[in-house]
Amino acid sequence: MTRPGFVLEVDDRTPPLVVHEGLGFRLEDFPLGTRVIYPPESLPGIADVEGAVREALLHPVDSDPLPERLFAGMRLTIAFDDVSLPLPSMRRPDIRQRIIEQVLTMAAEAGVDDVEIIAANALHRRMTAAELEHIVGERVFRSFHPQGKLYNFDAEDRDALTHLGTTDRGEDIEISKRAAESDLLVYVNVNLVAMDGGHKSVGIGLASYKSLRHHHNAHTMVHSRSFMDHQKSAMHQSAWRIGRVIKDTVPVFQVETTLNNDVFPRPYEFLMKREWEWSVRDQASMLAARRGLALAPQKLRHKLFHDLRAPYGLTGIAAGEVEAVHEQTLARVHRQQLVEVQGTSDVLVMGVPYLGPYNVDSSMNPVLATCMGLGYYFNSYRGHPVVRRGGAVILYHPLDEGFNQLHHPSYVDFYEEVLAETTDPAVIGEKYERQFAEDPWYRHLYRTSHAYHGVHPFYMWYWAAHAMDHVGDVIWVGGDRRAAARLGFRAASTLADALEMASGTVGTSPSITYLHNPPHLLADVRV
Amino acid sequence: MGFLREGVDDVRRTARGWRWGRRSQVPRSAEPYVEPVRAQVFGSDWARRRPALAAREVAQKVGLEPVFRSQVRTRVEGLDVLDRVEGPVIFVANHASHLDTPLLLLSLPDEWRRRTAVAAAADYFFDTWWRAVGSSLLFNTFPIDRRGGSMSATPGEVLADGWSLVIFPEGTRSGDGWMHTFRMGAAYLSHTHDVPIVPVAHRGTFAAMPRGAGWPGRDEGGRRQLTVRFGEPLRAREGETVRDYAPRVREAVAALLDEDSTTWWEAQRRRATGSTPDPGGPDVATWRRVWAQTESPAGDPPSGPRRRVWQR
Repeated sequence: MTRPGFVLEVDDRTPPLVVHEGLGFRLEDFPLGTRVIYPPESLPGIADVEGAVREALLHPVDSDPLPERLFAGMRLTIAFDDVSLPLPSMRRPDIRQRIIEQVLTMAAEAGVDDVEIIAANALHRRMTAAELEHIVGERVFRSFHPQGKLYNFDAEDRDALTHLGTTDRGEDIEISKRAAESDLLVYVNVNLVAMDGGHKSVGIGLASYKSLRHHHNAHTMVHSRSFMDHQKSAMHQSAWRIGRVIKDTVPVFQVETTLNNDVFPRPYEFLMKREWEWSVRDQASMLAARRGLALAPQKLRHKLFHDLRAPYGLTGIAAGEVEAVHEQTLARVHRQQLVEVQGTSDVLVMGVPYLGPYNVDSSMNPVLATCMGLGYYFNSYRGHPVVRRGGAVILYHPLDEGFNQLHHPSYVDFYEEVLAETTDPAVIGEKYERQFAEDPWYRHLYRTSHAYHGVHPFYMWYWAAHAMDHVGDVIWVGGDRRAAARLGFRAASTLADALEMASGTVGTSPSITYLHNPPHLLADVRV
Repeated sequence: MGFLREGVDDVRRTARGWRWGRRSQVPRSAEPYVEPVRAQVFGSDWARRRPALAAREVAQKVGLEPVFRSQVRTRVEGLDVLDRVEGPVIFVANHASHLDTPLLLLSLPDEWRRRTAVAAAADYFFDTWWRAVGSSLLFNTFPIDRRGGSMSATPGEVLADGWSLVIFPEGTRSGDGWMHTFRMGAAYLSHTHDVPIVPVAHRGTFAAMPRGAGWPGRDEGGRRQLTVRFGEPLRAREGETVRDYAPRVREAVAALLDEDSTTWWEAQRRRATGSTPDPGGPDVATWRRVWAQTESPAGDPPSGPRRRVWQR
């Protein structure tokens, strides 16, 4: 029986608790009375994954079975979520491989010749051949990649885009031409957290800057409470408007999958356990990991962490009409991640881990660390933010990983030039976004190298806009002081110092909540 | 050096946090909810069968009574009420000591004593087999649940079998010797089974053997005086509810206590005017309440010089 998530109250019996901080973790003694939110334990994975996939394709929701929608002579396009999902990457075989193989088997039986497989990476970096192969598997890769039929989506290839019109609010809809002109678009998703999937898949994954700028901006992000709750997220509402227009023109067959919370493989399983339940072996693993990481140079630590492949189990799969499928998907995500929390607190503590969606095999630069802490983790709520308005956020990350020149060239300029000028998301967007988005060099790197699009660091900053608007103080424990100052925040060496610094905002005896993730959790805050 | 020192710090912190060498602990807020364990209750039906009756007769007459009388002096009043009533009845008494049960049982005429069972707390007297066997054999106890719940033998069944019951409606021994609130179980049984309640008041057991004492104490070297007084049987009036009946039972016991410490006539007059002293005692400091109860009731005046075998 899987135990649900719960809220611990730190007392004199509580051992030190794990806090992730970049390429490592620390043990922290939290003040007595601190609330610690633990995610539910990992749900059991489906044993017969192949059977579950087949069942979903043959008995879709609000749609004819997939084989009935396939016919000889048709144009079939399969799109799939890129390397930003899941986190960490999944052990082989990836769930997307298993689904795509079955879709292709059915397509082959129906005599479909014209098939293209597109990674829906929007403005993310192009994946390497090895990364593509990891996701779709060797058979699919060998059959399609050499012929150029398995490729990354290019949002700057004007010839490969098509404008489908605008929504009733004037939002442009510009997506992949191949996808838009297909007789059937099968989208294979991995719904790791509640913000993924639904109309966000096609409407964002296969869209260009022209379309994305309508919802990826500071205004919508401040009005997304949170972006993990699509009904209360201005970004999702825009994506839903766009998706409904797409649905009228493009026949979409959505396949959504949900994973359990098995994030850390052996010997790091102790990171998923509740600390007071650690066995002697877990304690020994923790001590060994701590010493090993302390001894290892940065490069080795980076390799140790980024080589981890999660032993995720599949908790469910649904296929068919986008919105009906997504409803089922969200229910499963909530079952795995939702934790009921009573009331808000003055201080929210979060440990930013080594990995976010945009630094797979790359470095967690200060902008991405901010996006991870104040974006993804801060927004991991439903109802109300875990911290009260005007409260303080304490984040753990050394902010010392620097920038990956291959993946994040525009981030360097964003950090050095834009953030030096201002850290206000609205001002930044107004003043600099278009310049970065249309910069020919960034476009070139995005299209031919493995660089994130020039505008991407802006999106990362917008992701944190709601948190910056909501809280009064942000302090990085163990963070590089200069980097924190550039981001517009402050750094402290210990939690006690951070609380001391925050006392001007929240007083000397604030209520504290620590979000104990990863694994992923979603705080259902009742006020 | 930094590496080593940090390593030692980590080990120390782990040893402290996970209590190496000691029993590990779970934070209070993380302790799993455990359903309260229903204590095992040992049955007592056997204690009301013939062999047990015979064994009890021997145990009480040969063992209990001589020991009891050697330790305390007793004065019993009002037994004549039992001539005017047909069994079974429910004896309802105040409760201040473990002496109450032997005092009450040994005060009864033999034919009543042999047919009387005592309601005893299931969680106290019936949690282990040896306590259950011991108390059932000696005092003919049967378990009742003080917290509500089903029992192996309900008091109703025991009554229906023709046994009189002894019930202490306070539910537990008084901590200060004064009478506390009565629960409604006895009144309910009397009401539903149409059995009379015989109120019983006793004094001196708290002074002789209060809570925590294992053996009756002595008063200046002599045996402590206990008094017990049986009152007129009560029945629920026509149309009277249990809620109205139960306070009457407590008043009857209170009046008997008053009578025992003063006279029948004075107690009757006070009862008529509703000025019977509150058996719950005065609202004063706890020590004063206990102090007042540590005095044994006055015994019969000694008749002539005490005779001793060995003259000093």
